[in-house]
Amino acid sequence: MHAFEWMSPQGIESAARAATTTVAAAMVSERGEPDDEAALLKAGGIDLLDLMKEGLLRPRRLINLRDIAGLERIEEVDGGLRIGPNVTLSQLAAHEQVRMRFRALAEAAGTSASPQIRHLATLGGNLLQRPRCWYLRSRAHHCTRKGGDTCFAFDGENQYHAIFDHKGCAIVHPSTCATALVAFDARLEITGPAGTRRGVSVEDFFLLPEADVHRENTLAAGEIVTAIWLPAPPETARSLHVKHCQTESFDWPLADAAVMLEVADGICRKAAIVLGAAAPAPHRARAAEAALTGQRLGEALIRTAARAALQGAAPLSKNGYKLVIFETLVRRALLAAAAS
Amino acid sequence: MVMRGNTSPHARSRTPCVTGEAVGPGAVPITLEVNGILRALPVCPGATLAEVLRDQLQLTGTKIACDRGACSACTVRLNGTPVCSCMVLAIEVNGAKIDTIEGVAGETLHPVQAAFLEHDAIQCGFCTPGLIMSCVALLESTPHPSEEEVKAALGGHLCRCGTYPHVIAAVLHAAQTSKRRP
Amino acid sequence: MSDKIGVRSLPAGIAGVSVGQIERRVGADEAPALAPNARLRCIGQPTARINGHAKVTGQATYTVDVKLPGMLHARILRSPYPHARILALDTGPAECAPGVRAVHVIEHPIGRAIEIDAAPQSGPAGRELRYVGDPIAAIAAITPAAAQAALERIRIEYQPLPFVIDIEAARKADAPRVFDHTVRTEVFGGPATQLPQHGNVHGPDASASRGDAAAGLAGAEVIVEGEFRTQVQTHCCLEPHALVADWRDEGLTVYISTQFTAGIRAELAAALGLPLARVRVVVDAMGGGFGSKSRIGNDVLAAVALSRAALAPVRLVLARDEEQIDSGNRPATVQHIRAGARRDGTLTAVAIEAYGTAGVALGAGVGNFAQSIYDCRDFSLEQSDVFINAGPGCAMRAPGNVPGAFAYEQIIDELAERLALDPLALRERIDSSPVRREERRIGAERFGWSRRQPPGSAPGVHKRGLGMAQSHWPALVHTNCACEVRILRDGSVEVRSSVQDIGTGIGTVLAQVVAEELGLTPGEIVVRIGDTNFPAGPPSYGSRTTASLTPPARNAAYQALRKLLAAIAPTLDTTPEKLTMRNGRINTADGRHSIDFREAARRLSTEQIGAVASRSDDYGGFGRRTGDFAFARNALGGVQFAEVTVDTETGRVRLERVLAVHDCGRPINPRQIESQVHGGILQGISYALFEERILDAHTGHMLNANLEQYRILRSREAPAIEVHVLENYQGNSATDAYGIAEPAIIATAPAIANAVYNAIGVRMRTLPMTPAAVLSALGRLPQRS
Repeated sequence: MHAFEWMSPQGIESAARAATTTVAAAMVSERGEPDDEAALLKAGGIDLLDLMKEGLLRPRRLINLRDIAGLERIEEVDGGLRIGPNVTLSQLAAHEQVRMRFRALAEAAGTSASPQIRHLATLGGNLLQRPRCWYLRSRAHHCTRKGGDTCFAFDGENQYHAIFDHKGCAIVHPSTCATALVAFDARLEITGPAGTRRGVSVEDFFLLPEADVHRENTLAAGEIVTAIWLPAPPETARSLHVKHCQTESFDWPLADAAVMLEVADGICRKAAIVLGAAAPAPHRARAAEAALTGQRLGEALIRTAARAALQGAAPLSKNGYKLVIFETLVRRALLAAAAS
Repeated sequence: MVMRGNTSPHARSRTPCVTGEAVGPGAVPITLEVNGILRALPVCPGATLAEVLRDQLQLTGTKIACDRGACSACTVRLNGTPVCSCMVLAIEVNGAKIDTIEGVAGETLHPVQAAFLEHDAIQCGFCTPGLIMSCVALLESTPHPSEEEVKAALGGHLCRCGTYPHVIAAVLHAAQTSKRRP
Repeated sequence: MSDKIGVRSLPAGIAGVSVGQIERRVGADEAPALAPNARLRCIGQPTARINGHAKVTGQATYTVDVKLPGMLHARILRSPYPHARILALDTGPAECAPGVRAVHVIEHPIGRAIEIDAAPQSGPAGRELRYVGDPIAAIAAITPAAAQAALERIRIEYQPLPFVIDIEAARKADAPRVFDHTVRTEVFGGPATQLPQHGNVHGPDASASRGDAAAGLAGAEVIVEGEFRTQVQTHCCLEPHALVADWRDEGLTVYISTQFTAGIRAELAAALGLPLARVRVVVDAMGGGFGSKSRIGNDVLAAVALSRAALAPVRLVLARDEEQIDSGNRPATVQHIRAGARRDGTLTAVAIEAYGTAGVALGAGVGNFAQSIYDCRDFSLEQSDVFINAGPGCAMRAPGNVPGAFAYEQIIDELAERLALDPLALRERIDSSPVRREERRIGAERFGWSRRQPPGSAPGVHKRGLGMAQSHWPALVHTNCACEVRILRDGSVEVRSSVQDIGTGIGTVLAQVVAEELGLTPGEIVVRIGDTNFPAGPPSYGSRTTASLTPPARNAAYQALRKLLAAIAPTLDTTPEKLTMRNGRINTADGRHSIDFREAARRLSTEQIGAVASRSDDYGGFGRRTGDFAFARNALGGVQFAEVTVDTETGRVRLERVLAVHDCGRPINPRQIESQVHGGILQGISYALFEERILDAHTGHMLNANLEQYRILRSREAPAIEVHVLENYQGNSATDAYGIAEPAIIATAPAIANAVYNAIGVRMRTLPMTPAAVLSALGRLPQRS
């Protein structure tokens, strides 16, 4: 890795003020040279170090967020949970309340990467990590997302790319925790350099390429995700997260899905169905949700809903198989959720 | 599977200059408690824990094979928790307790090491130190794991020689024998 | 003990079936007949690795751990283009960069096909770069970071040229040429006849053909046919390619992660014009090779040149992406097979057209599998190499035979179905190997082969299937191979050879063999290997290490013992021929004296005695000898059975169980053999289901040049594996031992493919069998508009 400076502030505002830009912006350039004056925020650092080792980022300074007290806590607030961004994926997966009431999130966190990485990676960093698109992560490809004018995936190796919403760029969002958080209508608390706070739903936080092809979310320079809020779910809610990887040991999913159902007397009162590894942002399968809502859950209905989850899908040349896997995954997840 | 309790491995670490002043890019003094011995040393902010252990502390039992957290050959324990030392900056774990393969055996081999020998859970051996660090940590947090739990705990490790069947047998055996120990 | 040359009676046959005796003419210095394993103390016993303690405690020294005083660090500048010409190169700015001690420009790269008539090129300008990662120059500096930074200061002007990375596109007449001139033909294990080359296609080589396949097919009662495609697999050794080159006035020492210390020494001496005696090659612990660390590469020559220029040791360790793009790979193949048979199952004719690509290298053939494994009168094999702008392939565990068996064992499975024969029953007709017959019998029984249902008949979504396939690999012996045994005055014993332990445990095997002969325990033998200061040992490739080295090790021990007896006989008032050794004690014929080994050694008048033995020919002779190695008359085999579950809604193939029955002559360390068979099977599963190099059509770059998106089987993909190893005595050498590493991988992928066919009733003719490929084969992919 190149040489850089290190700073480890104790306060959120001083950290926010020290950051000059975001990781995404530091990777955008005219000719494929990363910003070498950037001062970047670092939490777990898993994605950041990866990008730096690949020469895709060359920050002048890193600003460590892990010495800021209070960002590593999970607290119960108003029946929901307030999760600090420095909570590791291991802590999240092991947390009693998360496992009992937000099962999909515990499952997503607990099956990411490997135990060794989950012990280091934070929830905040997981949400903000950059896509795994191998063109984005190659210095040899100056792609649209880095300021170039080509998405190489469209007529290239797109077997792991998006089947929805890939206008101009076909990345898939890599965070499985994000898939789960959207299903719970989670919100983020974001603090700016002046200490100002804004709230945004996780769903709205993520951006599609047509909104901005250079970044995956609305985070601005100097902003820090300071909390992830999970509203209290109804007593009858049941959720789970499922994913399909080529290898179960250690792999990015070909497809993942989070489902959350509120069921009373066999009737589905509310359904959230979110697909991951499907689109540049967590993809809410609204047609599938609508198919279930107000209906009596049964196998035929669930089959219909699973098919509806693929409504609007536009597979690329090499990823049509994802439709079959998603349909299976959603159906199996719904059946399991309905039976639980 | 639940790996460990609710503390982050960083809980006991404090990075230098928490006052917020920038340091580096030259070397910055830190201390690490490595295998029970307090070590003070200068590290560059860009140096990973794996590099510092190997190049500055001569603890070459920790291996670097992918340098991206994808093979777990570099697994050490950070405040008790197994982590990929290639994805940790040494500067950010100032003050932490680090355990490496060199510190696993006492006067005799640790039961996991002995079981690796007995079951021939070794071929080229390059991934072995990392595997042993994970297995030792697993048996501390889950003294009697199922085969599936062992496989899940080892999911991040890459062994190209294919020792997995013997590694799994060795861990299950070590768990059994440690049951009989006081 | 007898010094007479003559006939000796040796055990022959398969233990548990029938072991008789075979008479062989044996040389005077050969150790006496060795009993079957059941009557031995050390050989045949599961024995813990002698270097295991060092490996489980982190004390083992790998090449990447070697540190020398004043050591510099080197990095390599590589081509960013798949095909380009260097117009100008200026290393000046790099030479005066901070910390830089030497710069070396690679003008004549090795490790690729060599053009016959190319105009001689001098200086870097004009050199053609033929793949992304093609090495251009190397820099040694005081830190790796300084070397890396200096690389960026080399000024280089490229002229990008048209390139081709797809094997089908490369075959076309108008495809961009990877080489402008015909390249020199190379053939494994024999003199080559120069083959034709048209465009990027070099070949075909039809030298393995016999009889008249066309006529045979015309007369066949049943014909099956298929086209099979296999992918590029990369070695992914956990320890990267690494060396420390230390050039000094008195000679060159190279510490290197290698599979062949003696071979590296010979190659370096030849390349540098140095006497062999001035080159020393050393490796202690070695982190895997699988074929990719067999020879010197551009990295080795560059590090040596840098050390020579800087007058300091130079360390060069490849980064993981360099490993993936420029340290060799298993070539891709396309095989079209037609097989004809009579209705009774007699295989009458086989015609195979194969082409493959090893990038810019030769060697993409399909091995000797199809031509050797089954009886077939009329056989034709036409195989060609196709050049593409990609990193050079090289040997990888059972080169050729792995893709060859994937195709051929599926065709045989298909033929069995067409003939309404059980796949095992068909093999009874066409496979004349008595060893594999026994292996099939054992395997079928223990696996429960009778549970197998008709193809595609499994009910439900998750379909279970059983399949089997066979393995065939030539038994190779490295004849340029020696071993020394020394007995020291305190009774300690050393065994010395330049052989390297790449993880297979040859050191432990040597200790067992020598201990057996001297009446000691393996732990009492000091094993000194991995250094060309010792007698030149064999390579660790070709499954030939144990077969080559254990006979001279045993003979050296035997000869050293005879010297010991000769030396001490006077002290026991007797003559050497009246001394016998039994259970570690030396006894006089009259029974008056009996002393143990240590006491005997103490009576030596010199500090030590010893003997060096070279590999003698197999007692029954070799089938064929070529250069430094020979083909034994026997071959190595094996039979593997696989049970899979296919999720027909996601396309996932899951291995439930693999059972393997193998033979390697006399097994010496069953525990290590089991480990190696596990390794072969797990690499085979990984090849069958997950691994694939993916090149980008836009740029020629490998997109998954890491260990994350290049998927490899790990703990949760490893099925239950049962291994059974026969004791197959043939009376061929002082140990009668052969290898196992390669036979263990050959049958795995086709056994899985046959099991998948049995599960879903659809043949998977392309590797890897990904979810996308399986769903596609099942006809479940959505139709594209």
